[in-house]
Amino acid sequence: MVSVKNLVKHYGDFCLDVSMEIPDGLVTGLIGKNGAGKSTVIKSILGLVKPDSGKVMVFGKEAGKLTPKEKENIGVALSDSGFSNYLTLEDVTKILCKMYGDFHESEFRALCKSQGLPFDKDLKNFSTGMKAKARVLVALSHKADLLIMDEPTSGLDIEARNEILDIMRDYLEENEKCSILITSHISSDLEGLCDDIYMIHEGKVILHEETDKIIGQYGLLKVEEAMYAKLDKSNIIKTKKTDYGYECFTSEKQFYIDNYPGLVVENGNIDELILMMTGGK
Amino acid sequence: MHIILNNSSMIPIYEQLMDQIKNEIISGNLKEDEVLPSVRALSGKLKISALTVKKAYDHLEEEGFVVTVHGKGTFVAATDRQLAVEARKKAVEDEFSRAIEKAKALGLTCEEIREMVEIILEE
Repeated sequence: MVSVKNLVKHYGDFCLDVSMEIPDGLVTGLIGKNGAGKSTVIKSILGLVKPDSGKVMVFGKEAGKLTPKEKENIGVALSDSGFSNYLTLEDVTKILCKMYGDFHESEFRALCKSQGLPFDKDLKNFSTGMKAKARVLVALSHKADLLIMDEPTSGLDIEARNEILDIMRDYLEENEKCSILITSHISSDLEGLCDDIYMIHEGKVILHEETDKIIGQYGLLKVEEAMYAKLDKSNIIKTKKTDYGYECFTSEKQFYIDNYPGLVVENGNIDELILMMTGGK
Repeated sequence: MHIILNNSSMIPIYEQLMDQIKNEIISGNLKEDEVLPSVRALSGKLKISALTVKKAYDHLEEEGFVVTVHGKGTFVAATDRQLAVEARKKAVEDEFSRAIEKAKALGLTCEEIREMVEIILEE
């Protein structure tokens, strides 16, 4: 669906250098700390940022050269809704009707209603959660094959986050070939939704792995000094010294479970991954 | 169909999923030719990656429990239930022999192993 090849973009000292793929029908997660370059990647896929070098292909065409018609096939939810705070959902519906040839009005209205979003209130009176839901529903309203969601769940409570993720899951179920690119710093959101994870740090991809493998094969070893000296370190990605021992992040926890009985091994998760990959030595 | 996944278990999620679908087939809860939920549907409901579900379905197909018809879905295959039960018994047997090997490596006698099994059974 989307392929990013050696995309390079400089902003003063900051240098983004990323290659990634968003395969058809999969949910790809982009994680990284604030300022890692996530939004720049998204903007270049949308053709809003011109790369210094490299290629960004969307639907087999260069991102900057998509026609407006082709762009209708992308559903986007950025952190700012893009609609004036003084509009109501009723106004927004009218705008969307004119904007997208394939806008599904009755479905959009039904979904907004089921999420409890009023049509007659100014957006400025919406709560943070309501605004976030409206953004996501607008992105889904025109049956796009490619959805790009920049932090759709940030700033929301757990219940609202789950509701938003469920909206996306329902959409995926109905549109099996649809692909999603989602960024988030809330790892549990990504664990339960994404199929594939890219992690970027200071403008570089430092890890690309299937979610299934991160949860199933990656793990955290907790070892004491003496044990650490004896440990086979060939499958260890990162090690961090703690006050009372070492924490090692491994991509092959089974190897350590089998070979070092008694070793404390915890399941890997994305939070742990971020901390280990961007800190530690 | 009932599926309970344990996220903190050391058993990979796809294996847990496979085992439970197998159980449903063997116990007859899932009948021959019955269609399984689509990969997307199941992954959405269980809140796991679609690739995990796909992996489980692929393995189940390799083992002959289900058949995937492209564009139509994944169906419960015409398995000989007797055979399936045998296969599971064999799996249990294998785990026992692995455990016994470990016990022997520790130097436990046959008597001690038997005793251990008795105690566990009584629990």
